[in-house]
Amino acid sequence: MNRLNLPWNTIYFILAVLVIALVPLVVKSEYFLTVLINVMFGIYLCVCWNLVFGYAGLFSIGHQAFLGIGAYTSTILYLNFQISPWIGMFAGAILSTILAVFITFICYRYRIRGFFFAIVTLAFGMLMQNLFMSWDYVHAAVGIWLVLRNAPWDFYFMDRTPYYWIMLTLVVLSLAVSYFIERSRTGSYLIAIREDEDAAEAVGVPSSRYKVIVMAVSAFMISLAGTFYAQFYLYIQPDNVFSIHSAITMQVGTMMGGAGTLFGPVIGWTFFALFDEMLRWLPIGSLSMAAITRITYGVMLMLIIVFFPTGLIGLGEKFRMGRVVVLGSSPKTPP
Amino acid sequence: MPLMELRALSKNFGGLKAVHMLSLTLETGEILGMIGPNGAGKTTVFNLISGLMPPSEGSIRFKGEEIIHLQPNQICKRGLVRTFQITKPFGNITTHRNVMIGAFNRTKRVSEARDIADRMLETTLLSGKRNVLGRNLSVPERKRLELARALATGPELLLLDEPMAGLIPKEIDELLEILLSIWKGGMGILIIEHVLQAVMNLSHRIVVLDYGEKIAEGKPAEIARNPKVIEAYLGEEYVLAKS
Repeated sequence: MNRLNLPWNTIYFILAVLVIALVPLVVKSEYFLTVLINVMFGIYLCVCWNLVFGYAGLFSIGHQAFLGIGAYTSTILYLNFQISPWIGMFAGAILSTILAVFITFICYRYRIRGFFFAIVTLAFGMLMQNLFMSWDYVHAAVGIWLVLRNAPWDFYFMDRTPYYWIMLTLVVLSLAVSYFIERSRTGSYLIAIREDEDAAEAVGVPSSRYKVIVMAVSAFMISLAGTFYAQFYLYIQPDNVFSIHSAITMQVGTMMGGAGTLFGPVIGWTFFALFDEMLRWLPIGSLSMAAITRITYGVMLMLIIVFFPTGLIGLGEKFRMGRVVVLGSSPKTPP
Repeated sequence: MPLMELRALSKNFGGLKAVHMLSLTLETGEILGMIGPNGAGKTTVFNLISGLMPPSEGSIRFKGEEIIHLQPNQICKRGLVRTFQITKPFGNITTHRNVMIGAFNRTKRVSEARDIADRMLETTLLSGKRNVLGRNLSVPERKRLELARALATGPELLLLDEPMAGLIPKEIDELLEILLSIWKGGMGILIIEHVLQAVMNLSHRIVVLDYGEKIAEGKPAEIARNPKVIEAYLGEEYVLAKS
């Protein structure tokens, strides 16, 4: 503690965020800023997914659907109805939330848990992708191009810097949400559900309600990133925004860092992103490059699950304390 | 009004009548023992009462309210909590946080839950294991953790499913002492137990189940002499040993 009466960890965190926020003022390289925005985008997805898997133990492989819905809703509202993406962003988020509540409720109603929950969400994600793939109103497989122009009130910027700050804000907000959930009764309830749903119910945890809540919060946040994607990359198509690749991003990053911990997803995805960048410098063709990246993801994911189920955070703690205790809640291996 | 009343409770699994027309009452502050051979339907009765599975027929009233349509967490909110025979600790969190999750049943506030958890750990002699992960506890510690977590919810009726199974005599004595100190707080206890010496001493009344039906009910001494019970469960040796 200090004069401001804040814990040191919080101060370090705020300082780190400030330093990261100042980067665009110093670095003017578009390429470098784009890389950082990409990394933060991945981190954001991981942090949001960690709420669902890390804390509540719900293995969702359908979160990319919320990303896609966010991207398409704001874009369609803007192009066809001239509604600013700033508003469309929240329209999409609400739509995603409704779908997440629906899916989770169906799973509760028919007592679908664990592995089968994963299958249902996977099917949901694929269904959404195929729906948009064959829906002419949203230009089906052709996708939608947005035109770059200078219109801040419509979420368009000529410069990378505003995008950078928006993405950083999203990441900080997602971490704040995780932090408050972890500290509250809700967090304890989610962990109880992850550990043993029957035991949790028996001591008064309304498991179905809390599963619905956490899915809703996560879907809402992921959906915001969808709108960001559309406004930043200016091209959306079912094969990119609805791609299962983003679901894999979430899993790899979260598990690599340590599921069920506050900073696990941040560390995990940063590690992967660095790794990815380093691979880019290898003297190989770009096509085999993509294949190598995918293969490495797969191999690393397997290695983590088998040897370090607590991820990098768990590993670090192990070295530091000689045993594994992570924030009073060490993570769980996937089902 | 009795604290809990089961009326003509039945549960069928296909053609098997796991529980058949079971009726019993439990008064406030009473310790009721439930005994019977393996497969007699004792744990099924617990699963029905705690809302884990719906009964095929019959009614369960707790404090005068019908609870058969409620979810387990709603039943717990009303003051009826159960422990599991096969202990279910939350393995990856500390013992203290395990108990806090139970305590959240009566309070929203984290600091209050923390205090309740500390008191419950003290009651169940687990203070020394406060920061140990649930999965690293020994069997007797897990049994006591089940109890601490259930107590933390602030129950009026406690359902204990074989809390003494797998314990050595010294640990059984410890647990009996804990149970008596809890009971002095005025809550009702329904206990399934195969450790007869313990359950006979602890209970005010005993219900005997066999093939899902109640075959006897009464004071421990009467039960020990009941020929039907001797035939179904106790066996001749127990009577000889007692006399």
